[in-house]
Amino acid sequence: MNRFSFMLPDRRPGLQRILGLSGVLFFSLLVSLSLLPSSWTGLDPVEQNTRFVLAPPGTPGHLLGCDFLGRDNLSRLVSGSTVSLFIGVCVGLFSTVLGAFWGLLSGYRGGMFDTILMRLLEVWYALPELLIATILMLALGHGIFAVVVALSIGGWMGVARVVRGETLKIREQAYLEAARSIGASPVRLVFRHFLPNLLPVLFVLLLFRIPGGILGESTLSFLGLGLSPPASSWGTLVNEGWKALPLTPWILAFPAVLIVLALLAFQWFGESLGKRWLQ
Amino acid sequence: MNRFVRRFFASILLVWAVFTLTFFLSRWAPGSPFQGERKLPPEIMRSILAYYHLDRPLSVQYWEALKKTATGDWGSSFKNPGIRVSDVIGQALPVSLTLGGVALLESLILSLVLGTWMALAKDPVKGILRSLSSFEVALPSFLLAALLIDFFSIRLGVLPPALWSGWRSVLLPSFAMAIAPSGYLARLFATSLEETIRSPHYQAARGRGIRPFRLLLSHGWLLSLNAVVSILGPVSASFLTGSFVVESLFAIPGIGRVFVLSVTNRDYPLIMGTTLVYTMFLVGMTLLGDLIGEWIDPRVRAL
Repeated sequence: MNRFSFMLPDRRPGLQRILGLSGVLFFSLLVSLSLLPSSWTGLDPVEQNTRFVLAPPGTPGHLLGCDFLGRDNLSRLVSGSTVSLFIGVCVGLFSTVLGAFWGLLSGYRGGMFDTILMRLLEVWYALPELLIATILMLALGHGIFAVVVALSIGGWMGVARVVRGETLKIREQAYLEAARSIGASPVRLVFRHFLPNLLPVLFVLLLFRIPGGILGESTLSFLGLGLSPPASSWGTLVNEGWKALPLTPWILAFPAVLIVLALLAFQWFGESLGKRWLQ
Repeated sequence: MNRFVRRFFASILLVWAVFTLTFFLSRWAPGSPFQGERKLPPEIMRSILAYYHLDRPLSVQYWEALKKTATGDWGSSFKNPGIRVSDVIGQALPVSLTLGGVALLESLILSLVLGTWMALAKDPVKGILRSLSSFEVALPSFLLAALLIDFFSIRLGVLPPALWSGWRSVLLPSFAMAIAPSGYLARLFATSLEETIRSPHYQAARGRGIRPFRLLLSHGWLLSLNAVVSILGPVSASFLTGSFVVESLFAIPGIGRVFVLSVTNRDYPLIMGTTLVYTMFLVGMTLLGDLIGEWIDPRVRAL
């Protein structure tokens, strides 16, 4: 089977296939939305206009209305989507790479080394995630970079566990023994044999880590521990919407719907790829 | 049993490692517990630091803290002098345990029902149930909590929106906590149950004409339950020690809220205390989960 055969039409029955496809569709929609320059709405997301405070959706010039400072909701949503998706993808990438490195090292070396690395992993697991995230945020400030680092360092352990398991499985394969017996160097083994075989697993893990990062960012920002106010992200937008909820429910609704749809899209996408690649 | 004695000592080692890591992580973070609203004159600052032994080398502080903690003296809060850490935890823990226990129960019941239905249903319904469980997982708890408060407390006015008084204030927060894990657990349980149903022994039992209810219960359920029980340890620990998100939204005086307040205040003794409680719960619950798992399905002992 070709590595990109997921692009081919899916032969699974009705609803499942529609779900997979709609996941991909929404996924591409989100990506294109976040790749648009934030200026395409023609309005500055942080510009305040007192005439339009809490304007309802459909106000001329402000398609989705304005927030409690009179900032345009649509442009805040667009720039917020870019920020949230960027953080999600970065967290996904970093935590997958970190976890893959740890798991590969542990599974490849084996023995005492493996035991030590896995014990360390358990300790890291036993630390409350929020402790790690909060302390790192305090140390690094409240920017995008800090959020990415905090969430990546708090969330790579699951990846490491899965990668270690897969590495152990690959180590038992005949082709690996063959490669080793003709004297392939460890570097060659890792890059030519382990990594290519781990790639599907890593990609699926990445697809599941990205929504984890998005959720983590929005939770931190919602609680006021993440990005600081003038910046917009899905988390900060939900926070602002929640404060104005009884008056203007739509301010909460827009980012909330986007968060839920994004998480669903990544989940469905990851699941249908996982089904194809990891039987 | 020997294995569990070994596990027990490994757990003590784990708690010690977490203690050490938390100690150095919290001291490493910038800021100090006494950097407050107004600047203190340097002499006063020095005497405060000396009083709390914070002017000594870090290694000396670490040994002191380790010795004290091991003997059960968890010290008193820096931010509110005179209030003992054990008292703070003693007050907050029962609240979080109640809330977490109810939420755990709800999510278990929900996931078992949903999981069984999902495994037994035919395709259109099965697909709908599967997407329902994905939706549950994709719904952030803070969002669900916000919607619940808005609907039940503000619009309908039937349940209290916040605080901790009586059984009525347990309902909304516990539900907000229970939903996401229940979707995940339902998935796990359904996959495992489907596998069991396909297995030869189940089909043989069915062929022998065992009544459907008994068949499902003792030939299907019992063998599939381990998929849920095996991750119940970490799940229940995070439930029981409280979800900070939900606790802060509902202003519930539980341990999750104490924890984050202690981190933002750099209240070192309180950080150590709450982290230790969390770790001990995690370790204890994982051990308990493994024990229950073996009791339900002795086959896992061979692994």
